Amino acid sequence: MSANPVRHPSAEILSLYSAGDLPLLLRLRTGRHVRCCAACEQQVLSFRLVKTELRREASSQILTGFEAIADWHALESDMLGNIRVGVAASRCIEKVGHTRKFVLRLAWAAGMAALFMGGWLARIPAEDSQRILTALRKAVGLEQPQFYGTIVRSTPEGIVVRAQGASLTILNPQSAVVSMSGPSSVTARYADDDSGQVTITNVYGQ
Amino acid sequence: MASKLRFIFGAALVALLPWAARAADDSGKWLAVQFPRDSPVLPVSFNMGPTTATMRGASMVLDLHAALVLRNVGDKPICGLTLRVEAQDLSPYGKGSVIKPSLFVLPGEEFPVKVDMQLRRPIAAAKSESAIVQVTVDCALFSDLKAYGPDKLNSKHALMVYEMQARRDRQYLARLLDSGRLPELREELNFGIQDFIPRQLGLELLRGPRATALREQALAVSPVAFPKAPVQPLSGAAQVAGNEVRAPRVEVRNTSKMKVSSVAMGWIVRDDRGTDFVAGAVTAPMQIGPVQTTSITEPGTLRFSLPTGQPMVIEGLMTFVNDVEFADGSLWIPSRADIDAATQDLALRRELATSPEEQRLAKIYRRDGTSGLKKELKRVN
Repeated sequence: MSANPVRHPSAEILSLYSAGDLPLLLRLRTGRHVRCCAACEQQVLSFRLVKTELRREASSQILTGFEAIADWHALESDMLGNIRVGVAASRCIEKVGHTRKFVLRLAWAAGMAALFMGGWLARIPAEDSQRILTALRKAVGLEQPQFYGTIVRSTPEGIVVRAQGASLTILNPQSAVVSMSGPSSVTARYADDDSGQVTITNVYGQ
Repeated sequence: MASKLRFIFGAALVALLPWAARAADDSGKWLAVQFPRDSPVLPVSFNMGPTTATMRGASMVLDLHAALVLRNVGDKPICGLTLRVEAQDLSPYGKGSVIKPSLFVLPGEEFPVKVDMQLRRPIAAAKSESAIVQVTVDCALFSDLKAYGPDKLNSKHALMVYEMQARRDRQYLARLLDSGRLPELREELNFGIQDFIPRQLGLELLRGPRATALREQALAVSPVAFPKAPVQPLSGAAQVAGNEVRAPRVEVRNTSKMKVSSVAMGWIVRDDRGTDFVAGAVTAPMQIGPVQTTSITEPGTLRFSLPTGQPMVIEGLMTFVNDVEFADGSLWIPSRADIDAATQDLALRRELATSPEEQRLAKIYRRDGTSGLKKELKRVN
């Protein structure tokens, strides 16, 4: 087993770290290394010293320049006015951008919701929707559970029986004559156009 | 940027979820046709038609269309057949059957049977090695009124009633033909009444407490009596609310000298426009001795609607004896004379007399005329 060699951050990373310009995760990782590594800590300190020195130098140069300005008050008013105009304009643009983004997001969300609802209405059977709605209502206590239901039912497509979350439909043509054939069974009778024979379908429930 | 794209993709996926169609797994065995080795009918060919599997919400919808060609491999003519359709997801609470009445299939002859169904099952339903839907023979009735099959659906009784009705109607039509009463024949086969259309209705069988908020009313049930029926309806009542009929009850008396083992009571519903609909017949097993009286009550609730889906307002209820089975196994059905004597209403008389066989023969008459009908009656009689 060999010890992992220590990997020091590059000079650029340390430079950015010293100025607080790194992204959060990289900053935390670099910080952890710097606190444990004397060499890198020294490097960061030296970057900070250089930066402070540069700032100080720059500040002194600006002050030297300022001394050359004769009408300071007029310049100050002019600058402040420009700044106010700039700030107002940026706020105005910022609002326009926000509103547009908000409207776009809202439209996108509404579109997705409409697509979902369209899909739901077109593809999910009404009884499934009703069942989900009923389950939700029961969950929040708006509806008491009831033991009531259709056992067997005729529909334009055929006769349906439902049990245990599944359903079976014996299909028949719309011309079929439907009647009951027992205490829990429904029948449909029709003549087949091709063979001329009569077919009777029965669906039984319990 | 990447996280935003992931979010957009995820949201779009959720929005498109309900549109997802076509089940990916169509490799499973959906439908199996299993006939016992000793069955008098065996499949010659079995063809799955345009069968599809579609996802709908949390369910998978299977559209199954099976076309079978069966052969009579026995030594007696077959005059009726019931195929039992069982789906493992609904078993044992729901099942179906496909009945072929009015057959006259000689030994060695073949005949087609179509089974069209739709099965909706939860996607999470347990998978099994066997087929999702199984089709098998429940009962086959021979021309000597003997039967083969497990008869789990009480099919023998139904097939016998259809066969007796068929024989009654064949004889009646043959008599009309032989005696040259062609106008009567035309009228019988639906050419006399111009505005006659089959009266269709929508039906729902319900269990449990009442769903409708409408107030229930007690409605008297009027008996339609066939003069020579061995069991006579005396009186009855039902609770009616809007288009729902609950617990219809009728008193019947055995007027014969034989012990009765079951009675099938037919029900006629009259809507608010005075139109009568034959709602069907329900067989109730019971033991009634000669001259004894008993009460028959249908459990549950029946909800009626027009074919358009509009609820049917029930104004009246009538009952009649559809068939009677005696303890010795013999069966009684109303004769043509019984039906003619029971009511003066031509449309109701026709509703009571219409059998699967008459429906089949009417099709032949319309297609091939008198000669075609004669030929067919000669073949089956």
